[in-house]
Amino acid sequence: MDNIGRRTFVRGATAGALAFTVGGVEVLLLPSEARAQKVPLKILSADEALRLEAVSETLVPGARDAGIAHFIDQQCSVPPHEALLGIRINNARPPFVNFYRAALNAIDTACQAQHGKPFAQLTAQEQTAFIGTMRVGKHPDWKGPPPQGAIYGAFRADAVDVVYGTVEGFEKLGVPYMALVAPKARW
Amino acid sequence: MATQEKVDVAIVGAGPSGAIFADVLARAGKKVVVLEFGPDWDYKQFVSSEIWGRRIKHAPPFQSTGRNPSGHGSNAGWGTGGAMIHFFANWPRMAPVDFKVKSQYGKGLDWPISYDDLLPWFDRAADDIGVSGNAQAERRWYPVGKDYPMPPLKSFKQGDIFNEAFAKHGYPLAPMPVAINSTEYKGRPACVNCGWCHVGCASGAHGTPLVSHLRDARARGAQVRPFSYVTRVLTNQSGDRVTGVEYYDAKREQHVQPAGVVVLAAYAAETPRIMFNSATDRHPKGLANKNELVGKYLMCHTAANVWALFDEDVQNYMGTQANQFMSYEHYDNKTRPSKGFGSIFLRTGAAMKPNVGLASARPDLFGAPLADFMKRAARGLTRIGIFGEQMPLLENRVELASDKDEFGLPIARITHSYDADAIGSWEYGREEAFAIAKAANPKEVWRGGGPGTAHLIGGTIMGTDASNSVTNSYGQTHELANLYIAGAGLFPTEGSVNPTNTIMAVTLRGAEHMAKNFSTIAS
Repeated sequence: MDNIGRRTFVRGATAGALAFTVGGVEVLLLPSEARAQKVPLKILSADEALRLEAVSETLVPGARDAGIAHFIDQQCSVPPHEALLGIRINNARPPFVNFYRAALNAIDTACQAQHGKPFAQLTAQEQTAFIGTMRVGKHPDWKGPPPQGAIYGAFRADAVDVVYGTVEGFEKLGVPYMALVAPKARW
Repeated sequence: MATQEKVDVAIVGAGPSGAIFADVLARAGKKVVVLEFGPDWDYKQFVSSEIWGRRIKHAPPFQSTGRNPSGHGSNAGWGTGGAMIHFFANWPRMAPVDFKVKSQYGKGLDWPISYDDLLPWFDRAADDIGVSGNAQAERRWYPVGKDYPMPPLKSFKQGDIFNEAFAKHGYPLAPMPVAINSTEYKGRPACVNCGWCHVGCASGAHGTPLVSHLRDARARGAQVRPFSYVTRVLTNQSGDRVTGVEYYDAKREQHVQPAGVVVLAAYAAETPRIMFNSATDRHPKGLANKNELVGKYLMCHTAANVWALFDEDVQNYMGTQANQFMSYEHYDNKTRPSKGFGSIFLRTGAAMKPNVGLASARPDLFGAPLADFMKRAARGLTRIGIFGEQMPLLENRVELASDKDEFGLPIARITHSYDADAIGSWEYGREEAFAIAKAANPKEVWRGGGPGTAHLIGGTIMGTDASNSVTNSYGQTHELANLYIAGAGLFPTEGSVNPTNTIMAVTLRGAEHMAKNFSTIAS
């Protein structure tokens, strides 16, 4: 630990802030703050946001409050080459929102076929079982693309980003962030 | 379409290979232009975040297919510095045996040069980029020229915890040579072990083209044009010389850049694609492709991890993404009964952040079990990484897809599958690592999935002549004397180690050869 004093710690900093528009003014907010302040979504509909939150919360507890819907919405609204979504480096073609919409539709189509209702209306137990089957690509009535495993991986990675990939996330895990350049700037 | 003033050398790609050619040729007094499809980075602006770090990764659109599709998009770099600005900075070298695989084992291919031909260039690369390591500890496995410029990096418990188990299992360790400063070097600071190497190092301790060759090339007058998307290499009417390149700028305006020599350093997928898209009636199959070898013999390293979870704090949140230790023991034993063919390379002791490290260790977990695992892993998780070698196979290739890019040109389709030899080596390496990890007495130990596809190598291989290769040992194409290729695409075999050190040695050798013979090559 002899180098520890040389590091810059940013505990409590607004690391991970994104540019959101509030009252016509662009401000830097964490996705969780944007959600708490009910910042209007730019791309996703309110219904899509709820569906995305339901899936993401099942994958990574805390994703809803961490602002997963605002994170995805904001990242889908920026020019594609500026997007920081995992699917960008996994060779998805823009517009990236198409991936999320197709994924949510495929999930709900399969849920309707199996349970007669969309994913967000399933019990927590049913949601967990559904995701478990999706992870291994075993839903028999899947109407992709995207394939089941790709959705599991992409949605899970996004949710890990907002829950654990920030200074607050590191604090939850009890480990120091140790930023050289704190992620305050506009992403 | 605007035609630019003619330059001596037009280089496509500002990654490590393009940067070296730019530096060496600019140093030789040549007028150099580097065309880079991504932005121009200032390393001081890199943000310590795995989310932000995706900004520096990207590849032009491509298709990936085969039984083991290449994850090219996460390997590639976007912008000046190329993939090296997010590489983990591991700096091992291909071993002597890797250059004569066909002669020695009757499989794969031979290089047209030997390890000894590259030895002085390994030294030069280490001096240029700044490498920390212990050359003496490596000399048990292969000749190392000079000692490294800096001593090894500090080690942490995530790596130290395996030392005894490796030794007991017959794999003595040596410090991994890394392109990271353990001390101040050439005005760049020592590493502070923050672990954010893979998202772009903002201190300059991480050896990249931005703090070495590209910086020096600019200082010597080379011009770098970011957001320049090269579509074709142009040839003269008789088809025996290249005359420059065609590209689009950030405003999507088309330009022609005339040049005496063109160097394609656009990585192993995009370089063949540009060559195919440059087809003319004189080169109907693409440039330098009369033998139909452009795009062929593509390779990846089989990638595997064995994970170990300890109750104690193994300091995994600090250190570097580069590994602390490696072992080449048994590396020369490419043949083993019933367990594939090819070298394996074991390494351990790297920092982990939540997404690339912790969450990826148990991709099967979600919900409450994932949350529980993340808390336990945050201080207790470590791993042993294994790369395995794949032999060059004709069927693993880059070709043109039917899909088009925004300018109407076909994108690259990468077809990649591992054969039984590669799968066998991957399984063997993983089992060796599992036995070692278990011997360190962790609370839990498990094998990661895979085989993953690390790195992208081959596709425009070097050889003795046009009957077996696209270029000579300097990267000069057999068909067009003033068209060069640089980078991992030149490798006829890949060994099982991270390729960047060998890429730099091969590139330095090729660039210096071009500089010395420029008047002949460009005339």
